[in-house]
Amino acid sequence: MFYFYKKIIFQFLIFIVSVAYLVTAINLGSPMVDGGLQPSFFPLIIGSFAVLFSGILLFKEWILEKRRASDAGDESSPYAAPIIVFLTLIYITAFSTIGYFIPSVLFVFSMMLMFSTKEKLVQKAVISIVIVALGYLIFELLFGVRLPTLRG
Amino acid sequence: MEFIILVASSFTKLLDPVVLAYVIAGFIIGTIFSAIPGLTATLALALLLPLTYSLDVTIALMACASIYMAGMCGGSITATTINIPGAPSSMMTALDGYPMQQQGKGALALGHAAIGSMAGGALGAMLLIGLAPFIAEASLLVQTTGKFSLLAFAVIVIVIAQRGKVIKAAMAACIGLMLATIGLDAMEPVTRFTFGFSNLTAGIDLMPVIIGTFAISEILIQVGAAKESRQTTEAMSKVKIRRRDFIPPLASIRKIGIVCYVKSSLIGYFVGTLPGAGGSMGSFLAYVETVRTSPNPESYGKGNPKGIAASESANNAVCGGALVPMLTFGIPGDPITAIMLGVLVINGIQPGPQLMAGQADLIAPVLASLLFSAVVLIPLTLFLLGPYFIKIVAIRKDVLYGSIALLAVVGSYVATYSTFQMMMALVLGVLAYYMRKHDFPVITMLLGFILGPNLEEFLRRSLALSNGNPMTFFTSLDSLFFVVLTLVFVYFLAIKKPLKNPGGAAQSA
Repeated sequence: MFYFYKKIIFQFLIFIVSVAYLVTAINLGSPMVDGGLQPSFFPLIIGSFAVLFSGILLFKEWILEKRRASDAGDESSPYAAPIIVFLTLIYITAFSTIGYFIPSVLFVFSMMLMFSTKEKLVQKAVISIVIVALGYLIFELLFGVRLPTLRG
Repeated sequence: MEFIILVASSFTKLLDPVVLAYVIAGFIIGTIFSAIPGLTATLALALLLPLTYSLDVTIALMACASIYMAGMCGGSITATTINIPGAPSSMMTALDGYPMQQQGKGALALGHAAIGSMAGGALGAMLLIGLAPFIAEASLLVQTTGKFSLLAFAVIVIVIAQRGKVIKAAMAACIGLMLATIGLDAMEPVTRFTFGFSNLTAGIDLMPVIIGTFAISEILIQVGAAKESRQTTEAMSKVKIRRRDFIPPLASIRKIGIVCYVKSSLIGYFVGTLPGAGGSMGSFLAYVETVRTSPNPESYGKGNPKGIAASESANNAVCGGALVPMLTFGIPGDPITAIMLGVLVINGIQPGPQLMAGQADLIAPVLASLLFSAVVLIPLTLFLLGPYFIKIVAIRKDVLYGSIALLAVVGSYVATYSTFQMMMALVLGVLAYYMRKHDFPVITMLLGFILGPNLEEFLRRSLALSNGNPMTFFTSLDSLFFVVLTLVFVYFLAIKKPLKNPGGAAQSA
């Protein structure tokens, strides 16, 4: 049952977003005033199509998933992608407040751990520092991008 | 003729060591990214896009062209040696390349892949140089209603080209179009879908969309495929490539015949001009055609060098074809041309019919770089770096993805020096990740996002000019042409039965 909801939730979210988009487009005002097209005209068309397509997809997925007897979930870890999203979120927040270096080293180190085993941690830490230093060389020195520092 | 002379004179730009260094670096990066299973030249270009801010736009576009060409040929090495195509466009190469490797003729297979790539790339680039000015001139005849019908044609073709998942492709295009409507209206001072966020008033930047769609979503996809990566690395350690492997005997090239190279290149070129088709479809159709016209069709899929030549000629010729709609109409045919379009946009250059006429001196070096990459860099890179590719592609995945993650996230900061863009890239990356997990083609979302603003503008202008009468799209000659063309493509791509894959490999766009 959980697998069924997991498979269908994305289609459901797309449907909800499409409906919300269409409602917002309707609230933008009349699509035509004195024969002239208004800013709501195009979003209304796109929103209508989006609701139609997402509705069909939701219906198809619902029927398909109900028929599927066995759980055919993928083998990959279900937490790996959400952990990376969370790590990136923390990194972006730290990037603007602490600066480039320390958050970047920690971010690259944690990403390396996500893509490997938890062995040779010192070696991985050294590689992370090298990657971040190279990133600094490329962005700041080679291409003149001003990266944030602790001092602002 | 004037344009051809301009392209010819642009080769002198490559004598500048800085320009040459960027073109060669682009080619090597593109080859390495396309050779590593899981990575693509599109990802390389997405990661390098932020760096083009500080580059001269001509140099940036020349490097993009070389990455594009490299992206089509690099995948053939792993396709042949370990049966894992580094890029989708090399899938058909694996059908005959890997059986040859198993028969002890891997060297011959690699050589034919290199020759095919060179022939196809060169022919595609020459066709582009020869035909683009005429198409550009013709594109100036297209009026407002015709422009809308052309853009609608592009969106519809991109959607219906995704056979078997047309509704998902249509939904993805709608998501792209919906994202494109966020921000200030193009014709009236009204903000739409900003929900009070002032950062959204100017709309969503192309950069976080590209980085999110191709880089961040790729990291999220690959983190679940670590086991597969280890198996690939193990398979790679058993393969040895020598430098002379990339030079096939002349007799064997003669046996394939010039007709096969030219025909496959032409197929690749014309497939490339279609929005959304891409290298994999080009190589698939050329392969099918070669099998269909062969006196020994049963020999394909078992190690026939002609299959490799057809596939590789076609996918490299796609490069020239895909640049035609991008340069003449501002319509990108695939993710790489979409990113190249992004390079133009972030440098304040408006792509479209006027581009070739007004900025020919900007476009000519790009085409020179494309031809240079095909004729000089493909054979040179494969010959010099070929033997080391297996070592390069067996790079530790943790180091690789750690670096990619840093480049992607920091790269999205470069555009506006704001963490909002980084957040935007993350949000769009998560969206693209879930779309890919549920088999939505993200390329249609990207093209919907890119074409959306013009699609809306030309629709509103057309209807304003005709006092709201939609019949204008059928009464205007240029518009009617694209309406009929749309119907023809709908028939061939959505109604007529698809071609069968002779080798049994799955076709993916």
